[in-house]
Amino acid sequence: MSTNFDLAIIGAGPAGYVAAERAGKKGLKVVLFEKRELGGVCLNEGCIPTKALLYAAKLYDHALEGDKYGVSAKEVSYDFSKMMSRKQKVVKKLVGGVGAAMKEYHVEVIKGLATITGRSSAGITISAGDQEYLATNLMICTGSESLIPPIPGLQNTPNEILITSREILQLTEVPKSLVIIGGGVIGMEFGSFFNSMGTKVTIVEMLDEILTGMDREMSVMLRQIYTKKGITFNLSSKVTEVKGNEVIYLKDGQTQSVTGDKILVSIGRRPVTKGFGLENLGVELNRGGIKVDEKMRTNIPNVYAAGDITGFSLLAHTASREGEVIVNNLTGRNDRMRYNAIPGVVYTNPEFSGVGLTEEAAKQKNIDIKVVKLPMAYAGRFMIENEGGNGLCKVIVGSKYEEVLGVHMLGNPSSEMIYGAAMAIEMEMTLKEMQEVVFPHPTVSEIFKETVFAFK
Amino acid sequence: MATTVIMPKQGQSVESCIITEWNKKKGDKVTKGEVLFAYETDKASFEEEVPVDGYLLEIFFQAGDEVPVLTNVCVIGAEGESISGITAAAAPEEKAETKTPAAEKSVQPAAFSAEVKQPIASSEQQGSEKFVSPRARNLAQKEGVIIENIKGSGPKGRIIEQDVRASIESSPKITPLAKKMAEAEQLPPVTEGSGLGGSVTAKDLTAVNPVYSSDFEIKKISNMRKLIAKAMFNSLQNSAQLTHHLGADARRMLELRKKVKKANENGNPANITLNDMVCYAVVKALLKFPQANTHFLGDSMKYFNKVHLGVAVDTDRGLMVPVIKNADDLSIKGLSNQLKEMAAMCRKGNINPELLSSEAASFTVSNLGNYGVEIFTPVINLPQSAILGVNTIVPRPKDLGDGAYGFVPYIGLSLTYNHQALDGGEATRFLKQIAIEIENLEFEI
Repeated sequence: MSTNFDLAIIGAGPAGYVAAERAGKKGLKVVLFEKRELGGVCLNEGCIPTKALLYAAKLYDHALEGDKYGVSAKEVSYDFSKMMSRKQKVVKKLVGGVGAAMKEYHVEVIKGLATITGRSSAGITISAGDQEYLATNLMICTGSESLIPPIPGLQNTPNEILITSREILQLTEVPKSLVIIGGGVIGMEFGSFFNSMGTKVTIVEMLDEILTGMDREMSVMLRQIYTKKGITFNLSSKVTEVKGNEVIYLKDGQTQSVTGDKILVSIGRRPVTKGFGLENLGVELNRGGIKVDEKMRTNIPNVYAAGDITGFSLLAHTASREGEVIVNNLTGRNDRMRYNAIPGVVYTNPEFSGVGLTEEAAKQKNIDIKVVKLPMAYAGRFMIENEGGNGLCKVIVGSKYEEVLGVHMLGNPSSEMIYGAAMAIEMEMTLKEMQEVVFPHPTVSEIFKETVFAFK
Repeated sequence: MATTVIMPKQGQSVESCIITEWNKKKGDKVTKGEVLFAYETDKASFEEEVPVDGYLLEIFFQAGDEVPVLTNVCVIGAEGESISGITAAAAPEEKAETKTPAAEKSVQPAAFSAEVKQPIASSEQQGSEKFVSPRARNLAQKEGVIIENIKGSGPKGRIIEQDVRASIESSPKITPLAKKMAEAEQLPPVTEGSGLGGSVTAKDLTAVNPVYSSDFEIKKISNMRKLIAKAMFNSLQNSAQLTHHLGADARRMLELRKKVKKANENGNPANITLNDMVCYAVVKALLKFPQANTHFLGDSMKYFNKVHLGVAVDTDRGLMVPVIKNADDLSIKGLSNQLKEMAAMCRKGNINPELLSSEAASFTVSNLGNYGVEIFTPVINLPQSAILGVNTIVPRPKDLGDGAYGFVPYIGLSLTYNHQALDGGEATRFLKQIAIEIENLEFEI
């Protein structure tokens, strides 16, 4: 038996490694288990590598449209393998950075599959390799995996055709055509990237609009932008069968089909609750994920869960904050997880960002709201940098007290400024306070200020 | 000279009352006749008025506190007047005993002290005295800090400005929204926040957390609710009650009601309602069936010579059953007036608690007809032997003679009786008698 740890963490994704770092910094003795690479899906096969590719695609797009700004580049081309290797370089560097942080805060990192073996008055026991570890507290953050729906034929589709977000990042050449099942964030981002690369992209979505959960008006706008760029969208289309390269779907009662060199399945992700001894603890599940309270406690004392394993808000930044909530409470600071101001970004070009309440959610929850929206071009800087481009900024406030409840933006670089809106929501600022904030000029962020002032 | 206001003794059995709301704050200028505070007994709530013009110098109890009757509640006097020596201690008991039970006069001269310079003393529940510096008081007032919650660090525990400042700094930050909401909706202050860095959010004020935590709230029940709960449970536990249902032809009643309405239009003020008519019929029936006008006492029965009619009244505070004493002495107009007056007093909360006792009534009527209830089983107010539930009027097919059928309005009557006191036969005959009285109502408008 190894020495007693204050905190054992299973899974080194954005929940696990951030919590390990924070806990280590506060002097807790931490052991972190990871069966693959530090950084989890986010760093290795999610957020980071996709953004590396999308940035390259954006550069390429800009080079092609430089003419609009009086800059012309001849024979613009890209090198896919170079893009992929740069992406890998970025990933490697960042993973290395996580490893360095773990060393700095004396976190013991155990590479290998961890199994929870039991719980006693002494603590929770975990085995990895041929070692046993004992910890007072356990944080479970094993993340999620791509959900493969039970569609006939899908199981038999060869691996070189049927891919998930993991395999698509390992492609060695750009496919001529790509069918994406599922028009959510992952589907839209890969669709955007391969559209820039010249691939014929078709998105098949079961629901009546892409990006459900985001602002609907802007989802429609984004879809229209990408329709113009050449992506084919099949909405309200339920995939009934996959036959080799062919995806067969039912749309308006008609059976239709589309073929692709590759078929990307991105209909969602599900929490990983099996394969690491969770059943030995008796942790209560909820909708496939681990049930937690606002302090990320499970039903078992001293056992916590954070990140995708909880089954909702599957976002890296949610996971990190959840991990921090756990560490704060373990180290004597009363902290609770709040989900009302978690920003969400789709890294398409233009970027689509939102935080807080949408108009659709307000309607569903029967919340009285006031909404004002302005074209992004009301900000001079946006016009300067987006020749011919359009976008929208929408601010939602409560009708009685005018508190900021939601902000949604379509346009670059909304991903970099949405946090300001998240702060306003977290601090429950009302229009009055927002109007006193000074924004730098000229910036695209001024659109937020303009919209705040546009309320009557 | 300062005047103390005591908690009045509302009825012989009342030992303490709960202050439900203060309409005035300490330091307020008050005028005679204004409502000073509201309080409730087990059964009713009352408002205490300001007895003399002046300033509210001290408050000994807060809203929610249970205060023994005849105890000093607050002090009114001239601005800046010293009230040292006056505490929450009970006023002399003999003064109260000479008074009538209800609506006590609650003013008495307070002990006077000549020390004028002494800072205002505020008496804590523990009886210890707190001194507050004027600067501390000013700051607390400006920042809305509750001074009673502050621990003094000055000499002899005196609260100084620094203490108030420290209290402000250590209290949780509040978000702009929460501040606005708290002000607009007069929400009580919250000591723990769930927002950024522990700040108090709008959600904390209302204690409803939509994402997690519990989707319910546990609230203490009012004294009145406790009393109703106890009485109703006792009734079902300690008697053998069952209900008979019967309908009465309501044509006569509706015809009379029409006449009353017409008379009203012509300036006759007596607005006799259907409920008044039913109660009138019940009184008449009770006189013919004395065994229903009883209390069942286990080994004996109490037969009333008079009819003391209890009437169930739905109020914001809960169900109240005031009694109309000697209802058999009243004309229908008198009964009607009494019923309206009682209901109004119950809803206002200024009814004499003695009239709410289940012992005071010999029989009770509960009318749910207004709400469209067609059948229900009222619960007996023990020790009474029976209760009549009055239902809505519904059209029922009736043989009108000569093979002709028509729809006739019927009023439903549900009689719950204690089988310990009455048998099914006599209960049914009594119920039938009520129907007969209703069907043959006679009165002058």
